This record gives sequence, C-alpha cells and structure tokens, in this order.
Amino acid sequence: MTYTVLYTVFIFGGDHLSNLLDSLSTELRRGTLTLAVLSQLQTQQYGYSLVQLLEESGIAIEQSTLYPLLRRLEKQELVKSIWDTTESRPRKYYILTDLGENVYEKLKEEWLKNSKQLYKLLEGEE
Amino acid sequence: MNLIDVYIYEVTRRLPEKNREDIGLELKSTIEDMLPEEYTEEDVKEVLSELGNPAVLAGGYNERPMHLIGPKYFDIYVSLLKMIVPIAVVIAFISVLAKYVVGFEQGDTVLNVALIVLGEGIWSIITVFMQVFFWLTLTFAILERSDRSKDEYPRTMSLNKWTPEDLKNTSYIPQNRVVSKGYVFGSLLWTAIWGTIYFNADHLAGVYENAGNGLEFILPALNQAVLNSYWQLIVVVIGLEIVFALTLFIKHQWTKKIAIFNLIREVIGLIVLIFLITNANLFNIEFLTYMSRIFQSTEEQIKMFIIWLTLILFPIFSLYNSFEGFRKASR
Repeated sequence: MTYTVLYTVFIFGGDHLSNLLDSLSTELRRGTLTLAVLSQLQTQQYGYSLVQLLEESGIAIEQSTLYPLLRRLEKQELVKSIWDTTESRPRKYYILTDLGENVYEKLKEEWLKNSKQLYKLLEGEE
Repeated sequence: MNLIDVYIYEVTRRLPEKNREDIGLELKSTIEDMLPEEYTEEDVKEVLSELGNPAVLAGGYNERPMHLIGPKYFDIYVSLLKMIVPIAVVIAFISVLAKYVVGFEQGDTVLNVALIVLGEGIWSIITVFMQVFFWLTLTFAILERSDRSKDEYPRTMSLNKWTPEDLKNTSYIPQNRVVSKGYVFGSLLWTAIWGTIYFNADHLAGVYENAGNGLEFILPALNQAVLNSYWQLIVVVIGLEIVFALTLFIKHQWTKKIAIFNLIREVIGLIVLIFLITNANLFNIEFLTYMSRIFQSTEEQIKMFIIWLTLILFPIFSLYNSFEGFRKASR
C-alpha cells in the first residue's frame, strides 16, 4: 500500500516537473522568436524555407506560431511580402523593410546586452 | 476528399473575409513545400498534424482575442460581479417575499406559503443571477473587443491604469469589524418574516392541530384588529430595520454611528412592543381559554405569563444586540 502511494507520488511528481519545465522554457523562448525570425529575413525567404533555416540553427518553432507571426510583422511594416509566381508553384516571399532592419539592429543590441547581464548574473551564482 | 483543401477551409472560415484568400493561398503553398514530390495521404496527415489544430492556427492569424474577457478587464469584471450579484439576489428574494406578504390569501397555512416563497425565491434568485452574469459578461466581452488602446495594463474601477491615488478610494476595513452579507440578508429575512406574521396573525400565529391531514390552523392567538390599529408604528419599525440593514450593507462595517442607530432602533422597537403587549384586547379570548384548559390555570394567569415573559426576554435581546453593536464598532 505504502509503496503504491510512494510510486504514484513519484510518477506524478516527475510528470509535474517535466510539465513545469516545458512551460517555463517555452515562456523563455517565446520572446526570442521575433528576433530569430527577423535575423533570417535579411535575405528573402518563404514560409517553409524559413522553418528549415531556423531548424538548422537548432531553433524549434511551432509552424502554427510562425505563419501568423510573419503576417503580424508585415502588418507592423517590419517585413514586406511578394508573391513569386514565376516558379512552378507560387510562393510568398518575405524580406525586411528599412524599418525592419532598423528595428532588428536595435533588438539585437538589446538582446546581446540583456544576455550579457544575465550571463554575469548566472555565473555569479556559482 | 482533399484533406489539404478541407484543412485550409477549416482555417480560413474562422478568419475575416478579406484575409481568407491570401492566407489560404500561402497556406497551400506552404503545405505543398512541406510535402515530397510524390506524396501519399499519410504524408499529408503528417504535415497537417505538424501545422496543428486549425482553430489554433486561425487564432494566431486573428487579431481578435481568443477569450471573452482578458487580464485587462478581468479584475474589474469580477469585482463588479461580486458587487452586483448579492444586491440583485437579495432584491429578487425580497420582492418574491413581498409579493406573498401583500397577497396573502385567507385559508393558506404558514407551511404552504413558506414552501411557495422558498421555491419561487430560489427560482428567482437563479434567474436574476443568470441575467446579471449574462449581461455583465456580454458588456465586458464587447468592451474587450472594442477597446482600441494598445496598452495591456489591467484596469481599475475608474477604467484607468492603476496609480497610488487609487488607494484613497479603497475602504480599508479591519477583518473583525466587517459585516458579512449573510448577516445583512439574515436580518432582512427576519424583518420580512415577522412582518408577514404580524399582518397575517389571524391565520398564521395561533394554535395548530394535527387533524389527520397535516397541521391545521384552529384558532388565532392574537386579535388582528388590535394589531392592525398599530400599523403606522409597525411600518416605522419595519422601515427602520430595512434602512438599518441597507446601511450595514453599504458601509460594510460596524461604526459608532451605526451602533447608535442600532440602539435607537432597538429602543423604538421595544417601546412599540410594550405598547402592544399591554393592550388589554391584544389576546384572543378563545386562545386564552384554550391555553388555560391545557395548563389548568386561569385565563388571567396565562395572559400575565405571556406578558411578563415578553417583557423580560425582549429587553434582554435588545440590550444584548445594542451592546454587541458597540462592541463590534470599537474593535
């Protein structure tokens, strides 16, 4: 009886831990997605090529997050899109606008500054 | 059936008309990009499961929120709900009660009326709660969608961003001085009950006997005509009790002023009661005869016993009640 209870607690506890870790690291990643996407749009990309580029760099992104994100960036005038119909299959290409490049540089600086500070903080812990 | 087209339809039908075509085309080209040259239905399923639930994807495209009431308005929504629901519920219940007090029909028993009031009261409470809940939720859902301001600061009661100035509007009440809503409701209910009995004493207050088919009202204890002749005074007492309960409800705490109000109310109530109980014709003679037969004493003794019991018990209750008011106020 006691063993069963302990075992159950153990399983539940482990499950809870991994769930918690998952949601916390998703939260950590979420803010960086925009920056990651902007960084890859200095040359023009279509949706799926962008996914592959990001995956090659080890950045996993839900596709259901990426496509709406692209559209939002376009609405904010950070990227512009062109339909290319010359190839066998029409594709929508995205590329940074001037405003987008400007914002990207600023965000990048901000990110590097923050991660340096965080790094110092984390190293100081040890 | 082409799974890809159905999937795209499932996404786009959730989107505003003007975006449908463009997003649909892009989605189609993306899905085809993800598929190998020669693909099977299994491949399609795999790709679509990677894209995930169409409702979620559409939600990402949509600028409208995917919730009724977001963090910006949730707190004020809940606060308003907590404020309005108890008031509405109490008013609903009391109006049901009032309807039956005014329209009390001859020949009805207390139990019968109590059951009807309880049943209809609960029903009207549920109805009113649903109404308030629905309209308030609807209002806030519309507010959430029509709000064009970009910031996400949670709103306060003034519908603005919180500042320390808002603290001045908060009525800070120490926990031990708080008057619970249950207490207010209870005292209103008590007023309604004794008011009902008072004005219907000739068929509510008296002797009940079990005559085979439930309790039956046999004879009234009091003389309704005498009771009715005091109606102005009684209306004043009832009015005072209602005003008192509402004051407690609004102030939400005991203060010295409220305690004094409570004392005045108790004193007036007591004076009216003394007038009433000492009225020579208050008691129904038949009732006194009936009781004297049971207790084997004279009618006068029964009458004096009731009068003295009232004159001793009620002042004790009143004193205790007034004292409690001051004690709670000074905590």
